[in-house]
Amino acid sequence: MGRGCGFLETGGVEGSAAPQAGRASEAGRMNVGVAHSEVNPNTRVMNSRGIWLAYIILVGLLHVVLLSIPFFSIPVVWTLTNVIHNLAMYVFLHTVKGTPFETPDQGKARLLTHWEQMDYGLQFTSSRKFLSISPIVLYLLASFYTKYDAAHFLINTASLLSVLLPKLPQFHGVRLFGINKY
Amino acid sequence: MATVAEQWVLVEMVQALYEAPAYHLILEGILILWIIRLLFSKTYKLQERSDLTVKEKEELIEEWQPEPLVPPVSKDHPALNYNIVSGPPSHNIVVNGKECINFASFNFLGLLDNPRLKAAALASLKKYGVGTCGPRGFYGTFDVHLDLEDRLAKFMKTEEAIIYSYGFATIASAIPAYSKRGDIVFVDKAACFAIQKGLQASRSDIKLFNHNDMDDLERLLKEQEIEDQKNPRKARVTRRFIVVEGLYMNTGTICPLPELIDDIDLISANMENSLASIGGFCCGRSFVIDHQRLSGQGYCFSASLPPLLAAAAIEALNIMEENPGIFAVLKEKCKRIHKALQGISGLKVVGESISPAFHLQLEESTGCRERDVKLLQEIVTQCMDRGIALTQARYLEKEEKYLPPPSIRVVVTVEQTEEELEKAATTISKVAQTVLL
Repeated sequence: MGRGCGFLETGGVEGSAAPQAGRASEAGRMNVGVAHSEVNPNTRVMNSRGIWLAYIILVGLLHVVLLSIPFFSIPVVWTLTNVIHNLAMYVFLHTVKGTPFETPDQGKARLLTHWEQMDYGLQFTSSRKFLSISPIVLYLLASFYTKYDAAHFLINTASLLSVLLPKLPQFHGVRLFGINKY
Repeated sequence: MATVAEQWVLVEMVQALYEAPAYHLILEGILILWIIRLLFSKTYKLQERSDLTVKEKEELIEEWQPEPLVPPVSKDHPALNYNIVSGPPSHNIVVNGKECINFASFNFLGLLDNPRLKAAALASLKKYGVGTCGPRGFYGTFDVHLDLEDRLAKFMKTEEAIIYSYGFATIASAIPAYSKRGDIVFVDKAACFAIQKGLQASRSDIKLFNHNDMDDLERLLKEQEIEDQKNPRKARVTRRFIVVEGLYMNTGTICPLPELIDDIDLISANMENSLASIGGFCCGRSFVIDHQRLSGQGYCFSASLPPLLAAAAIEALNIMEENPGIFAVLKEKCKRIHKALQGISGLKVVGESISPAFHLQLEESTGCRERDVKLLQEIVTQCMDRGIALTQARYLEKEEKYLPPPSIRVVVTVEQTEEELEKAATTISKVAQTVLL
């Protein structure tokens, strides 16, 4: 009853807020626990509201935790951040296949990794660009902080390549030597 | 690696940048160019590889002639010359104003006109109204639905049953609920159209074996085993299914179940025939059936069965459970007419002797399907003139995988008396002789 009265009073406010609400309700909202018509929700996860920020904070947290270990020097910490980040990215985006839930498309995505499922295979979307650029940025920072040391260079470059190559559109659906095919 | 944290001085870091090796700086330059390229690239969809050039595509588009929306059809197409039934299609059916004995409707137990069923349906109609106006998950589940599912599970001696509101959609929804892309389904070549559509919707690999040929199935299974050994990782993620019909509608034969398998996971049946209701059900273990509550497309997205039909089905089950002797009576009648129809010149009986729905096919086909259909239609029309209502088995000829030969489908019901069965046999005999000479 209170809500009804409130509606009448705030009618004007709601009217002006409607266009903003409309924009905000577009892609970017996490459809948790609501009925939606998305055939494969995995495709929209990386477009959800706040996930890019959460990703950056998570990488920052990893870095801070590594920094707090007393016997790691700065170059080692940065290389470790880079390597652990790239390893986690490789496992979650390029190794694990399929969906943890049933999809109504008769299992189209059963053999696809999360990277291949993103945006239903559309290349160079903003999430894909963000996830391609972030390991490169991390690599540039790690190179700076390791003072361009040769050993660190080898480790960091190998790690970066392992995570950049699968993201190329030419590698969509490619399984080298039959690894991870089924 | 120093155990004491190195002094981190910005000046030292920048000095290291100036003294950095060339290969490293070149690589970083390439990476920065890569970032710029990524930022400016447009989104595009990966093209499916097409071997046609743009010019060839244009040519094909120019050449295309649109077909008429309504294709020309011959005047004696069966869909244009249908028979009109007045009153219920019960034992005595009035077709085009003429009263005939019904040998065409799947009213095996004669429950279509049963007063008990009608009373139960009327009582349900007065209580619930006509329809449910909603799918099962959206206020469309009534107590009669749960009752019917319970009763069906008990009757079939399984743990659980699930009801669909349309018989065709039952198996066509059940198959794609379990079998997905990459899975393998072994199915009989004579499977009915509903099963074929379910298999098509499942997007799985279909392996067909010859009708009722267990050796052929074994050959296919052995071939699959060899494939599995070549690629064990693929085999581990592939699910396999076998789909058979208990009593095939297209051939009237029974599948050799004891040779096939010991344990059945899912039984699916139509309530539109013996139970004289509408819809279908699947029954089996709870673990298996429960999956269809969320994955059965026909269950989740179609309106649920009208309660009056569910009540009628429950009453039909009551009658079947009170009076299990009618099945033996029906079998006897089937054997009798099966024997009586043997030896008709020109027609052969296709189906088991205990099958209540069997086919009469031409012994020698004329070579052209249309002419065969016309001959059989002539037989059917003449039988109808003499008071026996028969029908031809109709198929969507372009859509069937293994189109069965044209045939007359004869249905035996419990309500047909011995005299009527004799009359039908002699009528068909005489008509076949005159038409087929």
